[in-house]
Amino acid sequence: MNRRLVYTLAILSLLLLVFTSCKPAATPTPTVTPTATPTPTPTVPQVLRANLAGEPATIDPNRASWAGERTPIMQVFEGLFGFNQDLSLRPIGAAEIPTVANGGISADGKVYTFKLNPKVTWSDGKKVTAKDYEYSIKRMLSPDLAAEYASFYFDIVGAEAYNGAADKDAATKAQLRDALGVKAVDDLTLRVTLAQARPTFLSIIALWPSYPVREDIITKYGDKWTEPPNYIGNGPFLLTEWVHQDHMTFKVNPNYWGTKPKLTEIQLKMVTDVNAELAGYKNNELEISRVPTGTEKATLADPVLSKEIVRYNELVTFAFQFNVAKPPFDNLKLRQALACAVDRVSFVDKVRAGVGTPALSWVPPGMPGHDPNLGKEYGFNVTKAKQLLGEAGYADVSKLPELKFQYADTAGNRLMAQFLQGQLKDNLGINLTLEPMEPKAFSQAVNAEQHTWAWFGWGADYPDPDNWLPELFGTDAGNNHTNYSNPAFDALARQAKSELDNTKRLQMWADAQEMVMADAPIVTMFYRERFVLVKPTVKGLKTTGMDGQVSGDMFFTDVYLVK
Amino acid sequence: MAVAVEVARPHHTLWGDAFIRLRRNRLAVAGTVIILVIALGALLVPFISPYDFAKQNYDAISLGPSWAHPLGTDELGRDVFARLLYGARTSLAVGIFTQAIVLVIGLPIGAFSASVGGRVDNLVMRFVDVMYAFPDILLIILLRAIFGGSIFMIFLAIGLVAWVDVSRLVRGQILSLKQRDFVTAARAMGATGRYVTLRHLLPNSMGPIIVAVTFGVPRAIFAEAALSYIGIGVKPPTPSWGTMISDGYNQIFAAPHLVAFPALAIGILMLAFTFLGDGLRDALDPRLRR
Amino acid sequence: MLKFTVRRVLWLLLVLFAVAFITFSLMHLVPGGPWDREKELAPQIVENLNRKYGLDKPFFLQFGHYLWSAARGDLGVSYSYQDRGVTQILLEGLPKTATLGLAAFLLAIFIGIPLGMAAALRQNTPVDYVSVFFSMVFASIPGFVLGILLMILLSVVLHLLPTGGWGSIKQVIMPAFALAALPAAYMARITRAGMLDVMRQDYIRTARSKGLAERIVLVRHILRNALIPVMTVAGPQLAYLITGSFIIESIFSIPGIGRLFVQGVFARDYGLIMGTILFYAAAVAVFNLVVDILYAVVDPRIRYD
Repeated sequence: MNRRLVYTLAILSLLLLVFTSCKPAATPTPTVTPTATPTPTPTVPQVLRANLAGEPATIDPNRASWAGERTPIMQVFEGLFGFNQDLSLRPIGAAEIPTVANGGISADGKVYTFKLNPKVTWSDGKKVTAKDYEYSIKRMLSPDLAAEYASFYFDIVGAEAYNGAADKDAATKAQLRDALGVKAVDDLTLRVTLAQARPTFLSIIALWPSYPVREDIITKYGDKWTEPPNYIGNGPFLLTEWVHQDHMTFKVNPNYWGTKPKLTEIQLKMVTDVNAELAGYKNNELEISRVPTGTEKATLADPVLSKEIVRYNELVTFAFQFNVAKPPFDNLKLRQALACAVDRVSFVDKVRAGVGTPALSWVPPGMPGHDPNLGKEYGFNVTKAKQLLGEAGYADVSKLPELKFQYADTAGNRLMAQFLQGQLKDNLGINLTLEPMEPKAFSQAVNAEQHTWAWFGWGADYPDPDNWLPELFGTDAGNNHTNYSNPAFDALARQAKSELDNTKRLQMWADAQEMVMADAPIVTMFYRERFVLVKPTVKGLKTTGMDGQVSGDMFFTDVYLVK
Repeated sequence: MAVAVEVARPHHTLWGDAFIRLRRNRLAVAGTVIILVIALGALLVPFISPYDFAKQNYDAISLGPSWAHPLGTDELGRDVFARLLYGARTSLAVGIFTQAIVLVIGLPIGAFSASVGGRVDNLVMRFVDVMYAFPDILLIILLRAIFGGSIFMIFLAIGLVAWVDVSRLVRGQILSLKQRDFVTAARAMGATGRYVTLRHLLPNSMGPIIVAVTFGVPRAIFAEAALSYIGIGVKPPTPSWGTMISDGYNQIFAAPHLVAFPALAIGILMLAFTFLGDGLRDALDPRLRR
Repeated sequence: MLKFTVRRVLWLLLVLFAVAFITFSLMHLVPGGPWDREKELAPQIVENLNRKYGLDKPFFLQFGHYLWSAARGDLGVSYSYQDRGVTQILLEGLPKTATLGLAAFLLAIFIGIPLGMAAALRQNTPVDYVSVFFSMVFASIPGFVLGILLMILLSVVLHLLPTGGWGSIKQVIMPAFALAALPAAYMARITRAGMLDVMRQDYIRTARSKGLAERIVLVRHILRNALIPVMTVAGPQLAYLITGSFIIESIFSIPGIGRLFVQGVFARDYGLIMGTILFYAAAVAVFNLVVDILYAVVDPRIRYD
């Protein structure tokens, strides 16, 4: 009998060997596709295959909201403006960037007159007119469409009233719709009137919800207008095939007005599992792949893969937000003490293998308003943390009530939460109770301010502190879940939001951020960095801090493939 | 001759006999020993492993097996061996208690349904049909919101829907057995329904049920992992084998040992339960009585 | 038997109603709604969305409306895939999931049952131990790990098969095996246990002592009765397999319906939750009905009235 048991255990340990020998073991050299060599023409097929990581909810620009939806939309549509790689604006559908000097913006900053680029056409050959923009913006603001990003455009005259008129009758809605401050003056002139000056409006109108769409197509096909071949756009590519839950194929738009892309085809797959994505990349099914969290160190050490890594900073900050209305987190000194007790550098450099940047302030690097010197006094410093804890009245940590931390349970959050727990235990002797939650339940709890101390992340919708501060720390702001309230901040933010002098405006936001950091409603943790693999055959990939789901998706027109 | 032996033999109950026979079954004993060793290891972690299961070490992130860390370290530099032993507390408890609940609910419902038969059987089985499709995950998220998370909720949450398989198995077995001659004979000799069920029907249908229960063990361990992610299982940093596998999955290309060792542990535990289960089945078999 | 079947089909409607009511209630009771986002939406936008999808109506009105449309074949809208109705989504994904599930089911049956039979007939020999060993391996490796291991071996190292997707037979092989592993192991063990139970019965000894050929004993007596537990687990297993597995479909990027329920739950996509669970409930109930009918076919002594 004993022999039988030993026998069984031997087999089990064999199994273990099979397991462990499955290490990224000597990734095969890319000589595996000999079929490609005998072709007589030296041209390389210009097909880029990337992973969208899931079926988009909709690719209707007016209704879309997430990163996975933006990627396909950005290939097929272009708006008045686009972003350069440094995230400054460039005119696309518009002939120029309106300024007060060129008469595009009225002196009070409320009236925008956009001169359209006359060369821009739809993929079916028709001209893009100001009417298309007018229709698009009005449709997006319609209460019946219920577009999620509509609130971004509430500065437009009548927008909030029209969008809030869901329960009104059709005649009233039509009236409100006509009263909107959006008007096609002629085929090539679009006028937008704002209720108050909003210097970041150009960035907002550059976003996908206000890309032009075709009234005739949408009327004709209804919800089915997003299916090819109905999906008529004005961008460099055309959606030619959409196999739901499987992949999308894009081909060059023959009627594109600008420089034609070098790629002939883009394939976006819908692989949800990131390990499967990496496996697909290693099996030469994808040209671009994410790297599973925690696999970065091994990738850096891999002789082949390490040469294919592309890294860049994103406009995303991770932090832990207190509910300052709930004891004991209403105690400023306690919050500051906790901020000083977290070794962000170790987290990024050691736990995350150097992926990301330790964060001491809120607005991330790579956009206006980032201040590299801010927040240093509350960086990692155990002595100071203990001293602040004493000032908070908790020199004896056993007097501290139970501290709880809530987070939506994902692999990345779990890692961060346990790190935080370990830090407080090691550095201050505080036992932090972790409360993982199902993501929707977590969002609901935080949105209802039921949390005490919670995971918190924010990504840029557009690159301006105006998207990072008032919306999160203003007293009545929709996304303020810290319950932070500072009348001085509110006053400054109100002013800065419509300040037309850009230098002054940025200074105001800098001051505002300083106020927030001093009051410590959040502990900033790190700025996210994208860490992806790109096949060496791919050239011309341009990444930005605001890429959608697929890296480089804002500039696929410049991408080409070599051998 | 047979009569003489029966008389000479001290009287044992069915289950008492079974225990004696179980002790004679070497595989069953081996299974029991493995389970006890795992349980003992779980209780005595602090004395066995020099590492604390929660102690993070940022200079030893995701290392493979070595002399210092025989099973390697995880994504926060914690010792996998210590975590595996400590995690057995949760996983063993989950494996055993959920299956106990499954038996306690599933056996009587299935046995009752089949023994009575007819309209009652139909009603009970339609209830089972409903339970098969019961959206347990929604209920669990709801319970988490109302009562908060605790280990007892896991037993409840998993046991609540997992019994359906066992109940249908028992029912199928009994439906077929109850028409057999020996049952009819027992009835004719005046045995009551309950007696027939306990003495004849159940012991003769234990084989597949024991299999269902042993397969329920890893299923429950994985379910616990899924549940801990919606906040109802053990809270981090407390490990469980299921959560160790799920967490390790992210790094399967870089650190496969994080998945391999807990999976191996689950395999060994399941093997032990299988040995024990098979032995138990043999022991309960009235015809193998010697 | 016909009367029995008709009666059971009527009961099916009741089962579906119960499942629908339980699910509908639970999904509305659960904390977090479809519009709770990490970036909170403006209250006015949420109102518009609720109104658009009829979520501003009282609970029973919503439920009644759902039943009424479902009865006419319209399973409502999905918030995760806004431009296709749930009926369309299910109909598009079902053939793929069902093909895969059926392939896996056949694999499980044709591997599991012979393996279990061999193990039972050669109890306590190496055949038995090998069967135990494989069953334990496949039961204790979770599906996602098995899936990725297959992928690493067959796609990344050997470059034999594509990692996922749908359309060619090559893309079915790995997911079908990964999906079949656990049911095959389960079937093998259940078959073995069922056969051992039967083989010890007095009537088998009687049959043998009557001098019946071993093959006839095996087929006519042992297998028939040993099949009862195998069928019992095969019914719900088939229902599970043809409605798809979340894990296997996610790993191998199968554009089927297996992912939709879990996705629906985490997105609070009410349409998807209801559509998928009703579909699954119907499948389980129907296959359990088939199993009950098969009981009577295999063992004519079993009656239901």
